[in-house]
Amino acid sequence: MVIFTCEDSLEGILCGVYDAWMSRLGHANVRLELQERGNLRMFSEYRQTAKEDWKTEKVIDTIRRKAGQEVYEQVFHASLSREEEKADRIYRFLICALHLGPAVTDMLQIPAVYELFRMNRNVTREAMHLIEFIRFSQLREGALFGVVGPENDVILLMAPHFADRLNAENWIIYDEKRNKAVVHPAGGECALVRLPDEKWRERLTESGDQEEFERLWKTFHTHIAIRERTNRACQMTHLPLRFRPYMTEFQ
Amino acid sequence: MLIQQDMELGEKLAILADAAKYDVACTSSGVERKGKPGQLGSTVAAGLCHSFAADGRCISLLKILYTNQCVYDCRYCINRRSNDVPRAAFTADEICRLTMEFYRRNYIEGLFLSSGILHSPDYTMDLLYQTLWKLRFECGFNGYIHMKAIPGADPELIRRAGFLADRMSVNLELPTAEGLRTLAPSKDRKRILTPMRQIQRGIEAQRQELVPYRQGRRFVPAGQSTQMIVGATPENDYQMLTVAEALYRNYGLKRVFYSAFVRVNDDSLLPALPGGPPLLREHRLYQADWLLRFYGFGAGELLSERQPNFNIFLDPKCDWALRHLELFPVEVQTADYNTLLRVPGVGVRSAKRIVAARRSGRLDFPDLKRMGVVLKRAVYFLTCGGRMMYPVRMDRDFITAQLLGEEKRRVWDIGRQDSFRQMSMFDDGMLSPVPSGEDRRSAVWGEL
Ligand code: SF4
Repeated sequence: MVIFTCEDSLEGILCGVYDAWMSRLGHANVRLELQERGNLRMFSEYRQTAKEDWKTEKVIDTIRRKAGQEVYEQVFHASLSREEEKADRIYRFLICALHLGPAVTDMLQIPAVYELFRMNRNVTREAMHLIEFIRFSQLREGALFGVVGPENDVILLMAPHFADRLNAENWIIYDEKRNKAVVHPAGGECALVRLPDEKWRERLTESGDQEEFERLWKTFHTHIAIRERTNRACQMTHLPLRFRPYMTEFQ
Repeated sequence: MLIQQDMELGEKLAILADAAKYDVACTSSGVERKGKPGQLGSTVAAGLCHSFAADGRCISLLKILYTNQCVYDCRYCINRRSNDVPRAAFTADEICRLTMEFYRRNYIEGLFLSSGILHSPDYTMDLLYQTLWKLRFECGFNGYIHMKAIPGADPELIRRAGFLADRMSVNLELPTAEGLRTLAPSKDRKRILTPMRQIQRGIEAQRQELVPYRQGRRFVPAGQSTQMIVGATPENDYQMLTVAEALYRNYGLKRVFYSAFVRVNDDSLLPALPGGPPLLREHRLYQADWLLRFYGFGAGELLSERQPNFNIFLDPKCDWALRHLELFPVEVQTADYNTLLRVPGVGVRSAKRIVAARRSGRLDFPDLKRMGVVLKRAVYFLTCGGRMMYPVRMDRDFITAQLLGEEKRRVWDIGRQDSFRQMSMFDDGMLSPVPSGEDRRSAVWGEL
């Protein structure tokens, strides 16, 4: 077994796919793994994949041409998954996709296709939830700052929604687990930046008029519930605890 | 009962959210609108839920009354004239400020604006219209707005408001004219149906491009909805569902909401309801409504004069299937989409996935499970390649007993309010846009 290790990113994984495929060792004899995975397997040869743009582009181009845009998007979403096995799953899926073409996404009875579908669904669902549940606070200079701690790497998937909706605002969506952020200047384009933890926490503590509206929002949140229908279990199903530390109304 | 003038914004918000909460519509669906440069907001066709309140209901919109002052005296309503409750009124500026600031912080998807009747329907409708005008044109708000059309208000005011709102609603409140006469004497049925008809015609005329857009805006682009109170008057489920079906058909409504009656007033004409609001009944009505809208069922298939109320122990789809065992089992490989939809445990998304997947090969039970089929229910009604999952007697009593084991637990959970579980809601993936986002949440089950 030859194991190709790759960087944890869409580009990294696609380069791994390229190397594994082009090695011509046979799909059954190769495996893709993310770098920095602790336990090494015995009796396996490890090969480090070099991340290079031309490889990535070549693979993306092949996917688009043979399997279509939707397959490419599914692969992109899956690459944001928190699952350690994702690189190899993407590889197995692409073997099917390049063979079967765009219709592959319907063939959930094929295990490799189902696995990708499942990862994709998990990532998309979390991004959807966070688009709904993220709360912004207003910093002194008027910019909006929202913190999330997602299981999957989803802030890139959240950004287009807010770039459209809050196009005239300066805003930042910060992933505190990965120390990175999407930054949007009013009227401009989003950028992905690394943001060390201390920096933003400082800014956040000297925030502007947020308190007034945070108080008002809590008032509303309490009063809109019908006492006779109190149902914490139902609230829990829809709004799992892990989201709440980040939400104004539960702080 | 005078409106206090010098109230703080927070106090007003508390009173006017309290007063608005018995209206159950809190959806932000029905229209997809991109942001506009320099403005605040956009809308998403499936709707978004930004939070959930302690009663488990979704919070999508800032739902408030303009004022809870009212000249009418509807028996079931907390805001009725004869109640001694604190009264408040917002100003248009306050509503604009709350909406804009909440929206920027992603607390809400937009505004739901209703009101008690201050002085007269015209006066009130005008207040609401002025508020929306300010919000749209002075503040540049491009998010979702749901607004009440006040029965009895000048049609011209309703028409103008319809170009500023995304959704409008007029509540039927009680399904029959008699019910209205006893509990809401100031609201006869005709008064309610008139604006409903007007809005329907406006939407249809626009669809046929008979009316021009007004300042580039469409008329009520997200359609209209209504609400009926469940259990305040003696109508049975069959009557309720027939009325809902007629509203969908004849008035082109997007949604009918059902609101389990909460006894907020001590009034001899209101039922006592010692068990609390009739939540299970409301739940069954939502399930049936869902079957009407997405599964191609008719009210007359689910209930009849002879069986006018839903089975407490079985969901309406299982109940229907058990009465039609002669149609089952159906074969996964060949049954058409509409037939699959009628199988208990198979939902809209799983039926679509089955139809897509079987083109490229045979499906077996584990595959169905992965596609979101709830096998616990479906096994009695499906074959894969001519075989059932395990041998089943097609016997009504036997299958009922099997299904009851599962359903009883769910019913019991609903009955006990504190553990009202949305059991299988998330069994299925939630990627397909239909049914919409809020449907899959507000509706209280998974794959029927
Ligand atoms: S019109 Fe009737 S239902 Fe509406 S606020 Fe007044 S009393 Fe309540």
